[in-house]
Amino acid sequence: MERDERSDSGAEADLALDPAASEALIAEQRARVTAQTAVDATFLFTAWGVAWLVGFGLLWAAERELIPLGREAALPVFFVLLVGAGVLTAVHIGRRTAGVLGTSASQGAMYGWTWVAAFGGFAALDAALVRVDASPTVLAVVGTVVPPLLVGALYMAGGAIWSDRTQFVLGAWICAVTVVAAVVGWPHMLVVMALAGGGGMLTGALVARRERRGDGRSAR
Amino acid sequence: MTLDPVIHTPARLRIMTTLTALPDGDRLTFPRLQSLLDATAGNLSTHLRRLEDAGYVETVKGHQGRVPSTQVGATRAGRLAFERYVTALQALLRPVPAGSAVSTAPLPPATVAPIPSEDP
Repeated sequence: MERDERSDSGAEADLALDPAASEALIAEQRARVTAQTAVDATFLFTAWGVAWLVGFGLLWAAERELIPLGREAALPVFFVLLVGAGVLTAVHIGRRTAGVLGTSASQGAMYGWTWVAAFGGFAALDAALVRVDASPTVLAVVGTVVPPLLVGALYMAGGAIWSDRTQFVLGAWICAVTVVAAVVGWPHMLVVMALAGGGGMLTGALVARRERRGDGRSAR
Repeated sequence: MTLDPVIHTPARLRIMTTLTALPDGDRLTFPRLQSLLDATAGNLSTHLRRLEDAGYVETVKGHQGRVPSTQVGATRAGRLAFERYVTALQALLRPVPAGSAVSTAPLPPATVAPIPSEDP
């Protein structure tokens, strides 16, 4: 112990720390911890906003025969976009929260499993509909309305858990857009989801970015 | 007002800032803390021991899956001490104007408490 103390002071050649330097060090380290451990809502909302905007937009354009691409070709592109956004989300959250344990980690894990349970349920519903020979259009309607409704509800819950007003409002917006899409009906519900749903996500991304910058300033 | 000598060194200030930046009840694995600080394992261990002796941090030996892992978190006393440190720092940097009730006269940096590692 005695030796450790001495090697400690030896390693700390920069012991002279004046209050201003201390304050700067705190601000710098806080910013670093946030940048490296906090999940970036802007990034996630952007990934999903682009996937919805392009994916639903493409499906709608294919359905309306505005592009030389049938439903059979547009659907795989839509799924690739969704899976891509999902992979980006998982990698991002995995990297940011690696090595963080305790209260917020178990909270985050429970919330993550809620998504898995909800979308597992949706997959089961889809399979059940296929088994009773639901028409492709019925499947498309269910596939357009149910997942965004789950996303909206889970965002609202996430907003409640982390007292995140932006996330809550975005979730409420997505739920409202989904209801409008259902009222509009097939196939124009697709363009509603693309513009209002994907567009709403991208707006949420902008708001989250502005909030984060504001936080960064106030922490200094 | 003096600055807590346990915290007032660059390395330990950085450690305390990192651990208190996390929500209450959160811990970091030793390697993650190390990467957030760009510290060597030996140096980090030394400073952690000192903070642990003061009751400011808590080291938990746990498992992540089957891999044993050391987890470090700020204790309640540590969070309180860090808050006090920041308050003292602000008092030193932005003294309350003369005539106000609190007697935090501007203190030159010389009044900073002696560095503990020079203690016997």
